[in-house]
Amino acid sequence: MNKLSYLLSGTAFVLLAIWWAQKEPHWTWQLPNDIPPPSVPADNPMSQAKVELGRWLFYDVRLSGNQTMSCATCHIQALAFTDGRPTSLGSTGEVHPRSAMSLVNVAYASRLTWANPLLERLEDQALTPLLGDEPVEMGLGGQEQRFDELLRNDTNYSRLVSAAFPRDEDPHSLLNGVRAISAFIRTILSYDSPYDRYLNGDGAALSEPAERGMELFFSERLECFHCHGGFNFTDSTTHANSNVDRVGFHNTGLYNLDGEGGYPVDNTGLFDMSGERRDMGRFRAPSLRNIAVTAPYMHDGSVPTLSAVLSHYERGGRLLEEGPFIGDGRLSPFKSEFITGFVLDDRERDDLIAFLESLTDETLLHDERFTDPFLN
Amino acid sequence: MPARRLVALTLACLGTSCSQWDLGVDIPFAATWKGQPISCESASPALTDLRFYVSDVQLIDSEGRARDIRFATELHWQNDAVALIDLETGGEACMNGTEEISSHIIGVAEAREYRGLRFTVGVPFKLNHLNPLTAGPPLDDADMHWHWRSGYKFLRAGVRTENDGFWIHTGSAGCDGTVGNITGCQFPHRVVVDLPDFVPGEGGVNIDLAELLSGTSLNDGTPSNCSSGPPETSCDAPFAALGINFKTGEQKGSQRVFSTQ
Repeated sequence: MNKLSYLLSGTAFVLLAIWWAQKEPHWTWQLPNDIPPPSVPADNPMSQAKVELGRWLFYDVRLSGNQTMSCATCHIQALAFTDGRPTSLGSTGEVHPRSAMSLVNVAYASRLTWANPLLERLEDQALTPLLGDEPVEMGLGGQEQRFDELLRNDTNYSRLVSAAFPRDEDPHSLLNGVRAISAFIRTILSYDSPYDRYLNGDGAALSEPAERGMELFFSERLECFHCHGGFNFTDSTTHANSNVDRVGFHNTGLYNLDGEGGYPVDNTGLFDMSGERRDMGRFRAPSLRNIAVTAPYMHDGSVPTLSAVLSHYERGGRLLEEGPFIGDGRLSPFKSEFITGFVLDDRERDDLIAFLESLTDETLLHDERFTDPFLN
Repeated sequence: MPARRLVALTLACLGTSCSQWDLGVDIPFAATWKGQPISCESASPALTDLRFYVSDVQLIDSEGRARDIRFATELHWQNDAVALIDLETGGEACMNGTEEISSHIIGVAEAREYRGLRFTVGVPFKLNHLNPLTAGPPLDDADMHWHWRSGYKFLRAGVRTENDGFWIHTGSAGCDGTVGNITGCQFPHRVVVDLPDFVPGEGGVNIDLAELLSGTSLNDGTPSNCSSGPPETSCDAPFAALGINFKTGEQKGSQRVFSTQ
């Protein structure tokens, strides 16, 4: 090649690079080396402007039908984006049958919510709390137009929406609102717990009990890691570099109403979606990151403390001797083969709890990027 | 549109008879309870909801052949495949409803003698798993969408009495795949309605809520519902009234909820 062709191809390359940079908003995940980037839907690329818009919307009570609750009502930062209740309350007072799940690292969840094999994308999931009426959660259904008007007429939103969706002729839509909220939620990532620092070479980050608890957690004797394994402590994990659809739903022997493995009718897990009896009581294993601040536990908040959770697994299923749900979960025919029971002495129990507490990421719980912007 | 119409006419004339799509069709729908009209303002029982999608609407000609009705797509409650019938007026007992109603299917059919009407309560599979935020009307109604299950609610109906209530939402369940890529559903829950004595222009379609809710727990003093989920025994009776065996999802007989007015 002569000089001219070098010059031409060089110029073409630079122009192409400029065009590309303008075409897609620049986004970098600032992650530790050993953590892969989350996968992001092709039609909702990340951008700083979108995340900022999503943060305002996440905290805005105007997104509920009666303007009393926002996403943050059930997803409180200090509680690792859970609400501390056994089961959540909707904006009109309806009680949800299930407990609000943590949003931390939900960008890595291969499926969303407690037991839905259909839901992969936050953009799809968000429609249920926003618009659903079985039960009413935020109760925005029927008021979508008011939402569009909010984006158009509020000066703050008008500016944010134009920046987040610069190429849309009319960007003021619930579709874009949902995209922005999803983008914000994908940034709620935890990788700065004492356990993470320990893995990255800070041997002092874990106490001796926590270190012993870690050995127990990853032992074949306790089997915890079969369902709560990997960097996100759940087997339903995916990321941008993953080619496998990893998803697990497990019956942990919480209920056995009829001696045939039955669960309470409003919380049957995967069975509710599939109608297959063998799916009775199968729920997705949630991530254990920040688990110490997300009590009470399980899909229905029916286990109050981490110690009680350990007792449940220690027994290999829960025995309920009184109340409406009498039955021995240990004998459920649908129970996971990993729930076999074990015996812990007092020190081991304390060690295991110390390890679970070491998964709490104080940085995340106070990170200013995730606080309520209306309070600033 | 004129070009499409010309093509349709040409094709029609290639057959044994040369017919034109110039028979205006207007099928009114109305709700009753044991023969009496029921609305959101009724004393007891009162309607709490009544909205449903209708598709594959056909008239039966004198030779017993089912012939399509083409919907007037300029009406916002109809596209070329689906119509949304909305018989609740919002307010009163219909707290979660909308003021606007759409109580007629309007379109055209080939000019012939007809006796009999056939339609499906439901959204065809190829349209059923669209994103309601990007779909056009009448499939853009979030109230009619089952976000967590993927797909539309084919029928929302309910009544309230002085001390009780019952509502039902039907729609496809047990679907495979993931949202945006649903490959099939084990329980389609589409209801085929045959009304052999229907004559165009001489009457309409009646939906009898007393029939729909006849075997339910409506009068036991505890409000309950059926949302088409597998575990619900509360769904057995209303689905049987719609001609569907709820346990298997199969259409096992004729429905008795819809009739000719």
